[in-house]
Amino acid sequence: MTSVMGNHAEELPSLPLPDEQRCPFAPPPEYERLRADHPVIRVTCPTGVRAWLVSRYADVREVLGDPRRFSNRPGTAAHILLGFSGAEPVGEGEFPRMDGGEHLRFRRHMAPEMSNMKRIGQLRPLVQAIVDQRLDAVAAVEPPVDFYAQFARPVTTAVIAELLGVPEGDRGLFQKAAEALFTGALTAAEVGEAMRPLFEYLYATVMTRRANPGEDVISRMIVRSDGTERPFTDAELVRMSAAMLLAGYDTTASMISHGLLALLEHPQELDRLRADPGLAATAAEELVRYLGVGGGLLREVTEDTEIAGQPVKVGDYVVVAIQSANRDSALHPDGDHLDVSRPAGAHLGFGHGPHQCVGQQLARLELTTVLATVARRIPSLRLAVPFDDIRFKVDTAVLGPVALPVTWDKVLPAAEGGA
Amino acid sequence: MRIDIHAERCIGSGVCALIAPELFDQRDDDGVVVLLDPDPAPEQQENAYEAATRCPASVIEIHEEG
Ligand code: HEM
Ligand code: HEM
Ligand code: SF4
Repeated sequence: MTSVMGNHAEELPSLPLPDEQRCPFAPPPEYERLRADHPVIRVTCPTGVRAWLVSRYADVREVLGDPRRFSNRPGTAAHILLGFSGAEPVGEGEFPRMDGGEHLRFRRHMAPEMSNMKRIGQLRPLVQAIVDQRLDAVAAVEPPVDFYAQFARPVTTAVIAELLGVPEGDRGLFQKAAEALFTGALTAAEVGEAMRPLFEYLYATVMTRRANPGEDVISRMIVRSDGTERPFTDAELVRMSAAMLLAGYDTTASMISHGLLALLEHPQELDRLRADPGLAATAAEELVRYLGVGGGLLREVTEDTEIAGQPVKVGDYVVVAIQSANRDSALHPDGDHLDVSRPAGAHLGFGHGPHQCVGQQLARLELTTVLATVARRIPSLRLAVPFDDIRFKVDTAVLGPVALPVTWDKVLPAAEGGA
Repeated sequence: MRIDIHAERCIGSGVCALIAPELFDQRDDDGVVVLLDPDPAPEQQENAYEAATRCPASVIEIHEEG
């Protein structure tokens, strides 16, 4: 990789990306110097796209918080996705690439399902039951067990599939689509191929639920849509459902396995959580801050303006480095320290501005439930292999271990553990 | 302290209701914020500031004197 400090006339530095050779919990080390000396710097992204890389907390927050100057049109990850240019036409219902009122229309239709706190309160028993059932299933297996494949992914899959009413037998379909999407090294045509079966399935689902609505999120979105001024089309309903299924499961599953690994490697913090599972909520928030989203989020400049005094022109791309911003001493003087009791604070792990994560409250609920329950029910949880043998995903923004082989002495029953 | 709301920008994230449920609720049909108390008691004021800082869409405005 070209050094980010390189200063050749024709050769731009590369966007710093996660790399197996370095600390698997920290952003690429270049970021510390970038924040100090080059807070806004021109880089080349993996797709060849050139962009302004923004690494300080205040500047990242300013960019994400001002959608009028910094548009989502190119797509959150178009600088990482091979085969995408950021200039593709926006699909019907592709709200992650919309701005302003158009985008708000979708967010306010999903909010009652995903981010109304009363609704989240009602979902608590469902999530607890899913986590406990999965731990029971895992307990029946002789360890070592890959906690990512056998626990984290089944849990997050079950939660989002239960909500959307996708029956168990059909869940492989969206897992396959999500796996294809989040591996990065795909052409646009391959992405289309990977998505088609899922879109077809969801289209058929929207049809059946229109005729015969149930209590699931898709039915509720259909019914609520019919009462609005501008009802949602089938294609738009399919896109919202697909976005929740796809964006909702591997992000959270990876955060669970990456987070548990970070805690296993910070035994003092894990001991504090075990001693007081009431810390699970702040621990969950801290892990999202600390581990963050790799690769950064992409925006497009809509008018000639400045970022931290650096002029940028209409049409320029901007990549905001979430991980770097979350470690900036302007946010926390000890930002490189993992602290399970840290007050939440205004970290950017779920983004900021109108595109801030749709599923953040669901993700918080899942992470908190998992941390509290695992701390109570498997106090002897530990790695089954030396830490150095753990491999990490490198070609994606959804960071985390490829597998998390763990072992234990005993899994306590749900009731005994008080979960 | 007085709280003002610019609800036209609200994305219904639930961040305010998570931090300060005594001050903020959300509408059932679109998740948009409902201000429960524009004039929070002293013990709620820190939460009000935190909600204003963490609101992703700059909806919550706080006036020192009100
Ligand atoms: C720990 C887990 C998660 C993390 C770290 C995470 C992170 C993020 C981030 C950083 C964004 C902002 C993208 C941008 O500004 O361009 C985002 C958006 C989004 N997230 Fe999440 N997410 C998580 C879980 C979920 C879940 C559980 C769901 C769905 C149920 C979900 C659905 C979405 C959707 C649909 C968007 C696009 C929102 C928009 O463009 O308006 N995410 N997420
Ligand atoms: C924080 C990180 C990310 C978030 C929140 C996120 C969120 C989403 C959402 C909401 C969708 C559904 C869009 C729609 O169909 O309407 C989506 C689609 C997709 N995502 Fe991501 N994503 C993230 C990172 C990535 C990364 C790192 C990759 C690949 C390396 C990726 C690859 C894709 C692809 C290929 C699609 C399908 C695009 C299409 O429909 O044509 N995403 N993502
Ligand atoms: S935090 Fe802001 S955007 Fe989220 S619900 Fe409250 S007012 Fe609306």
